[in-house]
Amino acid sequence: MNKSFYTIFKTFFKVGTMLLGGGYVILPLLQSELVDKKGWIDSDGLCEYYALGQSVPGIIAANMSIFVGYKLKGQAGALAAVLGIVTPAFLAIVLIASILEEIVHLNFVQSIFWGVGIGVIMLLFLATREMWDKSIVDRFTGIVFLAAFILSACFKVSPAIIILLAIVSGIIYRRNTTQILEEDIQEECKK
Amino acid sequence: MIYLNLFLQFFHIGLFSFGGGYATLPFLYHIAENQGWYTVNQLTDMIAISSITPGPVGVNVATFAGFATSGILGALVATASVVLPSYIIVIIISKALEQFETNKNVRAAIYALKPAGCGLLAAVGVDMFMNNANLLGMFLLLVLFFVSRKQKHDPLFYLGVSALVGLFAGFFHLTA
Repeated sequence: MNKSFYTIFKTFFKVGTMLLGGGYVILPLLQSELVDKKGWIDSDGLCEYYALGQSVPGIIAANMSIFVGYKLKGQAGALAAVLGIVTPAFLAIVLIASILEEIVHLNFVQSIFWGVGIGVIMLLFLATREMWDKSIVDRFTGIVFLAAFILSACFKVSPAIIILLAIVSGIIYRRNTTQILEEDIQEECKK
Repeated sequence: MIYLNLFLQFFHIGLFSFGGGYATLPFLYHIAENQGWYTVNQLTDMIAISSITPGPVGVNVATFAGFATSGILGALVATASVVLPSYIIVIIISKALEQFETNKNVRAAIYALKPAGCGLLAAVGVDMFMNNANLLGMFLLLVLFFVSRKQKHDPLFYLGVSALVGLFAGFFHLTA
């Protein structure tokens, strides 16, 4: 199969247009496009990138695309993949944002957005619950959760500082133990 | 100057956000409160729209926030800056994949990062709840919550239902 800059871009562009909702939806999409249709990588490889995509900072879908793109065609492949995954999102939002400016002052639009604001709180609750199930596994992680929550909600500490504190505390706490996390994600991915 | 500032803010979001779709939100929320580029209410609208438009939510919201700050060029700068750290880091790691995967400190950091990201997101949710939900809103949330326990639904479902309720509530002036 031909792996030119353009085909890689096109493939990830297609995935980008079909990607709705949270980043976790990307797995079945990439499975169908890259593994089943193109045969560029195998299922195990994809699961590994899924685990890795969550282990580095940034947006998971972008991370995975860059990992796969780099594997396919080095830096050029990585660039093609990230441009492909990001462009549909960019175009859609710029279009919607332009229209929105024209209609946002209308009364019924305001009412809809009031309601949607409640829906968003619900989405945040669901996303938090999903993360909770994946991340709070023992007392230490429970304490980290609580500390991050209090520092952010009550003291308005910058999220970046909280993330740095978490990294430091994790390294200090885990200095003498080993735990396998990436394998857990890979297990879950293969189900 | 605004573009340099945008670049720095969104680069730091890309560098420090962990944990998927909504992980960038606590950062964007912090910006809303501190920079005043857009309001918290605007951010809520952005999140809603981003959840039902094509593309990764994190990219959508960054593009949106950039656009709200300074138009299409702002959108471009924000989008590019939020994925730039990913690009750099992933390429570095790809070159030393084995060392990264088996590194004890990396694993330890991730172990603590996940609950921290979760706590940050929970804080945003609680803050939004305190600021936005009146009696009707609380009732709506309660209903959505019970529906979610029965069956898993798409984000579109929750946003659609709450948009309809908002529309009706608007007619009867209940949204104030």
